[in-house]
Amino acid sequence: MSELTPVWILLVALAGSGALGLLHHAIDPRAAGPGEMVLAVRRAFAEPISVPEQRDGVLFHLAPLLLVLGAVGALAFVPWSPSFRGIDLSTGAIAFPAMLAYVTPAIFMAGWGSGRPLAVVGAFRWIALMLAYAMPLAMTLTAVAAPAGSLRVTDIVDVQHAVPAALVQPLAFALWLPAVQAVCFLSPFDVAQASGELRGGVFDEYRGLDRALVDLAQRILILAVSGMTAALFLAGWHGPLLPGALWMAIKTAAVAALLLWSATRLPRMPVDQVVSLAWRLANPLAIVAIAWGGLVTLVFYR
Amino acid sequence: MSAVATALVFWPAAALMLVTAVQVFRTSSMARAGLLLLGALGFEGLLFLALASEFLGVLMVLMMSGEMVVMTFFMVMFMPDPGGLMGMDMTHQPRRSAAVAVAVTAALAVLAVATDWPGRVAGRSAPDVEAIGFEVMSRSMFSFLFAGVTILFAMIGGVLLAQHGGRLGLDAPAGEERE
Repeated sequence: MSELTPVWILLVALAGSGALGLLHHAIDPRAAGPGEMVLAVRRAFAEPISVPEQRDGVLFHLAPLLLVLGAVGALAFVPWSPSFRGIDLSTGAIAFPAMLAYVTPAIFMAGWGSGRPLAVVGAFRWIALMLAYAMPLAMTLTAVAAPAGSLRVTDIVDVQHAVPAALVQPLAFALWLPAVQAVCFLSPFDVAQASGELRGGVFDEYRGLDRALVDLAQRILILAVSGMTAALFLAGWHGPLLPGALWMAIKTAAVAALLLWSATRLPRMPVDQVVSLAWRLANPLAIVAIAWGGLVTLVFYR
Repeated sequence: MSAVATALVFWPAAALMLVTAVQVFRTSSMARAGLLLLGALGFEGLLFLALASEFLGVLMVLMMSGEMVVMTFFMVMFMPDPGGLMGMDMTHQPRRSAAVAVAVTAALAVLAVATDWPGRVAGRSAPDVEAIGFEVMSRSMFSFLFAGVTILFAMIGGVLLAQHGGRLGLDAPAGEERE
């Protein structure tokens, strides 16, 4: 890590979220195109800061900032190429979910700070959703870290130089994808905003710059989880012919396209069904995934 | 990390930790109190990171977020005035607790200064790592086992009570059935 690493990470965050916007527009024509994106940024700065009638203003305005902080923090631990590894900690595979964990207080603050019943309901739903996705997310991370024998993300990338983890541990991959979809509050797990039933829920009162920060944070979150999925499950920068960074970009874009495509296609799940599915199916299966990860480690990686 | 970088993270994080910790008791809103406590514990995680205890720091930052938000959720649910609109006082027995806090801080400070800390604190040959290992696996073994079993029973009890109709598994009253 050099002094310039934070600058590079911020550049990746901005350029990546812009590229992700174009990808989103290509997948779902209803999403804003390039012209509308520029307009939206200009409008965000022009609109006055909105103040809901009855609210906890400090929490209301702090929430988008915490959301961006958590998203950029998570992005910082994604290794993009052998020469640009982000923040390469020996505990990177825990530091990444540690940053994602701050989405939860941010969304709670947004819902509570808005001071509207439906927004508070959205915040409470998010806590239930967090309890549903957090365990599968953490347990599948353990499973893919096992072959590397290390929680350093770059070690996990390098141990996949022959076979990507998604092929060795397909169950872990299948559990990881919906969990990260939920972290990015994308449909079918957008129970906290729920435009139909909760009228926008936790983010309904957000206008102008606050709203723009929420949208930016969601883009950066999608970028971070797609990049980390590419690193942990799709062998990161390993691949034939092309340079490593390009492979990472292609894999990240493919995962992001999958997440955004399923967000436009899948209907929202009721929160009680998400929780029930997570605790009755996903968590037991995650334990199986850990056992499988241990087994393949003992047989093939020792 | 260099000494300058350590100082640049440590002192601001320590100051913010103390400020947020004090504010927990000065606010009357349950939501703010819970989130301020999360702030204090998150900054404490930064302290560990600054002091090169990477694993402890990252774990602290990770675990506290979910735990404190769930705690805040329960505080908001159970308290009659979660928004603090009536200006509730968050302190109980302020004088006695202040006296206890000062006494404990003083005792810990004396202990920290008076202890003869070993020069080498990490790695295989560090004397206190070995001492902690023997302590955990021998004399304190029973206490840890007891604590573990107690927590397990609390978890099983919690699941039983959360079931429909409580631990007896009675049918839910008419109108409350969801499935």
